[in-house]
Amino acid sequence: MTGEWQEWLTTAAEAIALVVITTGLLQTAFYIVQLVYAGAALARRPPIARASVLWRRYAEEAPPVAVLAPAYNEEVTIIESVNSLLALHYPDFEVIVINDGSSDRTLETVVSHFGLSRVERYHDTKVKHQPIRGLYAASRFPRLLVIDKENGGKSDALNAGINVARMPIFCSIDADSLLEPDALLRAVRPFVEDPHLTVAVGGTIRIANGCRIDAGRVSHVRLPRNFFALIQIMEYLRAFLMARLALSTMQSLTVISGAFGLFQRQTVLEVGGYTHGTVGEDMELVIKLHRLLRERKQDYRINFIPEPVCWTEVPEDLTVLGRQRARWQRGSLETFSRHKAMLFNPRYGRVGFVGFGNILLVDVIGPLVEMLGYILVPTLWAVGLLSLEYLLAFLAVTFTLGIFLSVSTLILEEIELRRFPRSRDLAVLTVIAVLENFGYRQLANVWRLRGWWQFMRKQQGWGKMTRKGFARP
Amino acid sequence: MNGLEALWFGSLTLAAFSLMIMAGLMITRSFSVYLASIRETERKRLVAVLLGQDSLPVTPPPPLGLSRKLCLQLSVEMIQLVRGEDRVRFIAAATAMGVAERLRHQLDSGSPGVRLVAAEALAHFPDDKSRQRLRLAIDDPNPNVRIAAALSLAQVGEPPPAAELVYKLGIGTSENSLLAVSLFRDVAERRPDELKALLVDPNIPAGAKAAVIESLSASSDYTIVPMIVSLAGEEEDPRHLTRYLRALGKFGHPAGEPAIKRGLQSRHWEVRATAAGAAGRIGLVALAPNLRQLLGDPEWWVRFRAGEALRTTGIEHLRDVASSGTEPARTAASKILAERGLE
Repeated sequence: MTGEWQEWLTTAAEAIALVVITTGLLQTAFYIVQLVYAGAALARRPPIARASVLWRRYAEEAPPVAVLAPAYNEEVTIIESVNSLLALHYPDFEVIVINDGSSDRTLETVVSHFGLSRVERYHDTKVKHQPIRGLYAASRFPRLLVIDKENGGKSDALNAGINVARMPIFCSIDADSLLEPDALLRAVRPFVEDPHLTVAVGGTIRIANGCRIDAGRVSHVRLPRNFFALIQIMEYLRAFLMARLALSTMQSLTVISGAFGLFQRQTVLEVGGYTHGTVGEDMELVIKLHRLLRERKQDYRINFIPEPVCWTEVPEDLTVLGRQRARWQRGSLETFSRHKAMLFNPRYGRVGFVGFGNILLVDVIGPLVEMLGYILVPTLWAVGLLSLEYLLAFLAVTFTLGIFLSVSTLILEEIELRRFPRSRDLAVLTVIAVLENFGYRQLANVWRLRGWWQFMRKQQGWGKMTRKGFARP
Repeated sequence: MNGLEALWFGSLTLAAFSLMIMAGLMITRSFSVYLASIRETERKRLVAVLLGQDSLPVTPPPPLGLSRKLCLQLSVEMIQLVRGEDRVRFIAAATAMGVAERLRHQLDSGSPGVRLVAAEALAHFPDDKSRQRLRLAIDDPNPNVRIAAALSLAQVGEPPPAAELVYKLGIGTSENSLLAVSLFRDVAERRPDELKALLVDPNIPAGAKAAVIESLSASSDYTIVPMIVSLAGEEEDPRHLTRYLRALGKFGHPAGEPAIKRGLQSRHWEVRATAAGAAGRIGLVALAPNLRQLLGDPEWWVRFRAGEALRTTGIEHLRDVASSGTEPARTAASKILAERGLE
């Protein structure tokens, strides 16, 4: 009886270990496929053109763009941000700053600095948002319009901007996004080259921590000194250079970062703009676009360009980073739950299979199974229910293959883009690519489980995001 | 060894292999930093040569020690930066150093990226050989290279025949890039009749005709207006129809009225909005009652364009609707008047 019981326990332990190992292997296999696709896409892409070439090539035909910049309590940085946006190199654009009911003097600061006065502007009301209190403009700055509205969050502010914008394309950015001067010119390329099909374009976001910032522009690329910021560089490389580029090539891109994205305004209006009551509004919008266009059987493209167009500050503090990651996890789960009917549904083609399959594997099942593995596999091996091969296979999918993927992404970056100026930077990042698998990866899993827990409890809100502020000379 | 062990050893091998490649790349990078300093020195010398401040021989082959690649990159970079006599001097110096020849050679490269850059750069070297090579590149297997070659030929004042562009580049079928409009604009400057001939050719796809019309709208050749009106009457696709109507608005000729009037009644809102915009741009007063009706359109863009058009074609309609109309026309009229300070 004891023998049978022992045998049953061993079989159960092996089954658990196999589930954990198979899930990890599936994830790794999918990442390797992404890496191959990203490598092929980078090798095929036209070389990165200089700004002057871009201007000559695209300026005449570039469609007008409205840059939507939501601002909440940005009193200290708003002037520099607006000046930097107004200095973008693009033939026809307007900057719409949306003051989302700030409790500080954001509105007063921008109004007095640019000499704005209250104006009337007939605008759309198709998407819902909190009431607009007033619009401000000045003839001296014909590209600038400020919307003052009641507080409603980032999605709500962007919806107000979409309604007020009069350009066929809008660019949504975060309040703390630092755009490259030619960001719009680079990102608009798919809209010029494939105007009938392109509905949205995302661009690569890079980490500005540690870089030198002059007048709202990154003037010197340097690695941050903070360990967690360094780790996030590797995470961003995997997310943008590998995953998004590959998924875009497969026409299955499910997220365009809120820090920078270009969208065809009319199609976004048709899906009702940004969704309220979710923390993953950027992902939710892209999925809604896929859903609408697939249901209409309309041919379309949601693209991603590998060129860096935007810089952002990442958290350097564990508490803030943990909150952000739990929020991202919750956002993914909310979107997955809302649109779960798309999963493996032939009606949604590659988006249903590849895009949603990716979310299921990486965001839904991934953190649960991996955490289960961390707890059970070593324990079951320690009590003698699992043989050493199971433990080693588990270590392979969680540690060594993790190192292989991170280092491979870095190899891709170095071969194709060479954006890190010094060989020392590469050495530091290689060390980080190894180290992140020991401790940080497990911690990130705990944060993601916290996101799961918040999702189960239907917890809302963003939590406090403390910004350190960009380093200035 | 069973599968689980193989997984472990396989993963170790992959991780070690990736780390070895990375180490190799780091060594290469260190070496390339050293090379960069040499390149920088050569770059300075080359700038002096291109500026004519150095007596270094500039006849082909390239001066000893001067990297051909760097020479090519820098020449193109500098030619793009300057205008006038300096540019002419740079081009002469670069041609003497064999840059144009190397660019022509690069058009045979296996990499579409290299061919694309070469096709674009050859626009700066308008010699016969380069033009001939660019004409061949119109048949390149890569669509980006094809269009770049056509744009370069246009830039050197020799845009390919319009019909050839349509067929070889697939304009209006496989190629819908807005860059086609730029291309046709160059043809329109030199050989507008070629483009007009395309408009009456039944084999030319509607997308190509729309691009042709857009490119011609910058001219003041009003003989095209009746052609556009006729084409607009036959066109159902709102994507093309809006381009026809926009062109009519740009021409600003009242002969466009019949097409615009039809457009105002279209079942596609984007066509109604574009037609309203064109009516306002031309100042078609006779269409003011139709525009007034569109102030109550369910689509905001149509209401907005109609209201804007009424500012020039019948402001009394706007004032009337603002004071006694029904929603949503009243809000549209009053807000547009307020925005322009006309209330």
